[in-house]
Amino acid sequence: MSRLSLETLTLAQGGRTVLENISGTFEDGAITALVGANGAGKSTLIQAIMGLLPPLSGKVSCGVPKERRAWLPQQLALDLTFPMSVEELMLSGCWPTHGTFKRYGPQDYRRMHTIMQRLGLSGLAHRPLGELSGGQRQRALLGRTLMQEAELLLLDEPFANVDTHTVEILCDTLREMASAGATVIVVLHDMEQLAQLANCVLLLAGGHGQWVEPETLLERHHAPARRHAHAPFISLNLPDVPPCSTY
Amino acid sequence: MLDLLTTLDAWLVAPLTDYAFMRRALVGGLALSLAAPPLGVFLMLRGMSLVGDAMAHAVLPGVALGFVLAGFSLPAMSLGGLVAGLLVAGLAGSVSRMTGHREDSAMASFYLISLALGVMLVSLRGSSVDLTHVLFGSILAIDDTALWLIASVASATLLVMALIFRVLVVECLDPLFLRGQGIRGGLVHGVFLGLMVLNLTAGFQTLGTLMAVGLMMLPATTARFWSQRLEGLIGLAILIAMVSSTGGLLVSYHLGLPSGPCIILVAGIAYLASALCGRHGSLLERVRRRATPLETDENTCTPS
Repeated sequence: MSRLSLETLTLAQGGRTVLENISGTFEDGAITALVGANGAGKSTLIQAIMGLLPPLSGKVSCGVPKERRAWLPQQLALDLTFPMSVEELMLSGCWPTHGTFKRYGPQDYRRMHTIMQRLGLSGLAHRPLGELSGGQRQRALLGRTLMQEAELLLLDEPFANVDTHTVEILCDTLREMASAGATVIVVLHDMEQLAQLANCVLLLAGGHGQWVEPETLLERHHAPARRHAHAPFISLNLPDVPPCSTY
Repeated sequence: MLDLLTTLDAWLVAPLTDYAFMRRALVGGLALSLAAPPLGVFLMLRGMSLVGDAMAHAVLPGVALGFVLAGFSLPAMSLGGLVAGLLVAGLAGSVSRMTGHREDSAMASFYLISLALGVMLVSLRGSSVDLTHVLFGSILAIDDTALWLIASVASATLLVMALIFRVLVVECLDPLFLRGQGIRGGLVHGVFLGLMVLNLTAGFQTLGTLMAVGLMMLPATTARFWSQRLEGLIGLAILIAMVSSTGGLLVSYHLGLPSGPCIILVAGIAYLASALCGRHGSLLERVRRRATPLETDENTCTPS
């Protein structure tokens, strides 16, 4: 079952075509890794899926309501000097149910504390965001998406600049969300994380996309991946691999 | 002791009990102090501190046009200022979206054009005394109409701010989250700028067009040295603005100085004092800085 599909999607940024004729479906309950070199169009595709960038042609069909789509941008996109606490950030995830006016109730606070405990953030409720470590901040942002009860989750390099403890927590939470039926799309650069996390891979290169099985991709890059487990896909070109069978 | 009380009475109370214009000015100043500083706090947090200044210049041609058409009529001048301010904000926003240029550059261009137009209009019709009046305000000119206008603007500002507070906060931190939720950030931004223009036009009678922005920004920037929480910033900024308005008015009365600059200078002194010895980020705090003890809770993560 799939609530998100791309139909001959062509996207442009600033008058330049970035991606052309991308088609395919993202299965519910699966984690799809979006891989490609810098500038390959990963963030552009995420923007289009979020409905923030109108396509040049083709379309994104998304059955997930707008308020249940969550995007974890790279941390640099946030204004961390803003005086907001972890609690306030996480409660803003109640937007779909509370909107601008509804007061947060005791059940919202209870839910928030449960999520904070799960993400290892207990005791940090009143800590300003600017005083958190990169990993704690990333967990707080994921906490907001859990509060939002996101059914479609897009993460842009969520493991960049975070500690290993956080990577484990994030991976576990993403798997739990996927097994609960959410569609998860993660921009990844790291082969090891891809192997651990992804059910399928959408590879972007040269303006085109190709769906591949993670195993196939890993086999192809097996030797370099073992030698340089954390080597990014900097010079990755479209590999000659069979398409992902499940999609 | 009695002498002290008499002196205090002569300095602080008598001017207000003896003169109706002082009472009106005080009420006007306090009403502005309730509404303008919260806007200033958000401007500061959004990195738009100088936009307030640009908008204060931008309302000038409207005020001048009102003055040219209807003489020294507060409603005409305020309406003119409001229209000019909204026009500049709207034009700057549109040009920025159309061209992809940053909004501050578009706003700087439009406010400069607007300012030149305003000065031109005032000098064509009035004397330099009139120009000074428009630029620096006068407490003597506050009448009941002005008070009603200021009180209405302050009430409307507080009400609208309460309504859009959550949206403003989320938009400041993560505008993309809000867009993802289907809220148009541009609309929120427009309402916010509209409130700012309203307050600047309401403030020009007491403070003058150029000084009005001072009561918005200085209490906010001062509060930043004392609080790291949004509620704290807003509460403190209002308190500082109220004290500055009252103090500035009294100083202006006793020393025979123009009221607008006096109010802003009192707020300025508070800013300088806070920059020297405030609780957060002041010079004194930097000198005295001590390391906080290591945390031992389970949430402390090792750096990656």
